[in-house]
Amino acid sequence: MADLTKDEIRAMGKAVGLDIQDPELTEVMYSLNALLESLDAINPPGLNEVEPLPIILPPA
Amino acid sequence: MNKSELPFLSASDLSHLIQSSEISPVEATEAYLERIEAEDFRYNSYLTVMREQALADATKAELDIASGKSRGPMHGVPVAVKDQFWSKGVRSTGGSRILSDFVPNDDATVITNLRNAGAIVLGKTNMTEFAITGFSHRYSTPRNPWNLDTYTGGSSSGSGAATAGYLCASSLGEDTGGSIRFPATWCGLVGIRPSWGLVSRYGVMRGVWSMDTVGPISRTVEDAAITLNAIAGHDAKDPYSSRYPIPDYRESLGKDLKGLKVGIIKEFMDSDLVEPDVHQALTDSFAAIRELGATVEEVSIPLSIDAGVSSAILLAVEPALAQKEWLNQHIEEYGHDVRNLLLTGSLIPAQAYYKAQQLRSMLRQQVLDSFNQYDALVLPTAGKAAQPIMEDPPITSKESSSRLGFLFTRIFNLANCPAISVPCGFDDSNMPVGLQIGALPRGEGTLFKIAHAYEQATPWHTSRPREVQYASRSS
Repeated sequence: MADLTKDEIRAMGKAVGLDIQDPELTEVMYSLNALLESLDAINPPGLNEVEPLPIILPPA
Repeated sequence: MNKSELPFLSASDLSHLIQSSEISPVEATEAYLERIEAEDFRYNSYLTVMREQALADATKAELDIASGKSRGPMHGVPVAVKDQFWSKGVRSTGGSRILSDFVPNDDATVITNLRNAGAIVLGKTNMTEFAITGFSHRYSTPRNPWNLDTYTGGSSSGSGAATAGYLCASSLGEDTGGSIRFPATWCGLVGIRPSWGLVSRYGVMRGVWSMDTVGPISRTVEDAAITLNAIAGHDAKDPYSSRYPIPDYRESLGKDLKGLKVGIIKEFMDSDLVEPDVHQALTDSFAAIRELGATVEEVSIPLSIDAGVSSAILLAVEPALAQKEWLNQHIEEYGHDVRNLLLTGSLIPAQAYYKAQQLRSMLRQQVLDSFNQYDALVLPTAGKAAQPIMEDPPITSKESSSRLGFLFTRIFNLANCPAISVPCGFDDSNMPVGLQIGALPRGEGTLFKIAHAYEQATPWHTSRPREVQYASRSS
């Protein structure tokens, strides 16, 4: 997947009410691209059939 | 015994002396307070020392014990608690400048429970900012008593430094992604992340709501067992608090390991993230567990090595949501790496968060399936020992955006399983190395059983940090 650019990061920030400027903008760009790239590389068989796990309730 | 020698006892040994009235809780509390005053400038472990309240509580404990009203093994034992927990009438910063004046009007349940067990709370310990990252401190950086130029590990960094520096008998930390076991392994201590739901989260500043867990950081396995017993149990103030009955964990101690099956997670031992000297210490620890009677063999948990990625998503998104208003209003008050993490977490797409939860679900199933065959899983707590303290570096590439790839704790946070770190030797620089043991939810008894048998069969728990002054300057 292509890395997100600074302009795209700034626009994404705007969408959630954050005005992100340099030097934070550059660092967030590296961090977000690194995370998304790492996640994109993990694709175990059957992943799409799995229900996500937001929480585990302890037994009563 | 000279009062200045009391801080060097284990919590359990101190407890026995207090219960038999050979030592008074006031003497023990004064000894720790004097030591904190004389020595903590070296470690930066406390943010707030609660001298007056501690002495008042110790006086009451002394009277209660003298009149036969014992509350158990923690009665009169001085402890430290992470500043992530609310303390009524006492500043509770969460390691943040944003909360530098925050004084709660209620205690976290873990503090209430400690007091109900008769423990003496000495003060609030330093921590990374909002317990979000492993390194960033907004007040001062705690120093590792084994080498003052190295990190303690975080986020419960002050609890690690105070316990290793003999500035408390035992302590509490909080572990969302490894924040109890990380300082435990780097400071040569025992740290246990209990099963999620076993210990109340009421009054605990939130990180990731389905992974936040409070537990002990202690000098011995027995100390961790009695500390956990003091804080565990159902709490109506925490909607996800378990009603599972809490056993006396001391009953798990002193057992042999015959009949137990232990799986070595091969993905971690095969990883190049494990330094050779750490690898050797772990290999030796597996042999020792085998000699104690357990069957020890390799097991594969394929997704375990990817736990860092899926947990990193959760550890960025959920705190970013929890702190959305502060991030908008106080962005300059955050430290560099926490600010970056919260901004990044604010932008992670929903599909990525959803995928991370799917991966979590798959990993959890793989971990639970392994427990059909094994009683416990073992692996390094971290792939390297304590690293030098350095400036928070700027992020100049994708590769430099993560600093915790060597931390192997998150598999059990994601699976919501309990795990313990126990000292298992030293690296080539004579810094402590930790063996991590994980078990099924509510398997704390199994963890204490294995950790205690291993601890008692090896010399590591008798080693003392080099940088500690073993005679108080004020005595």
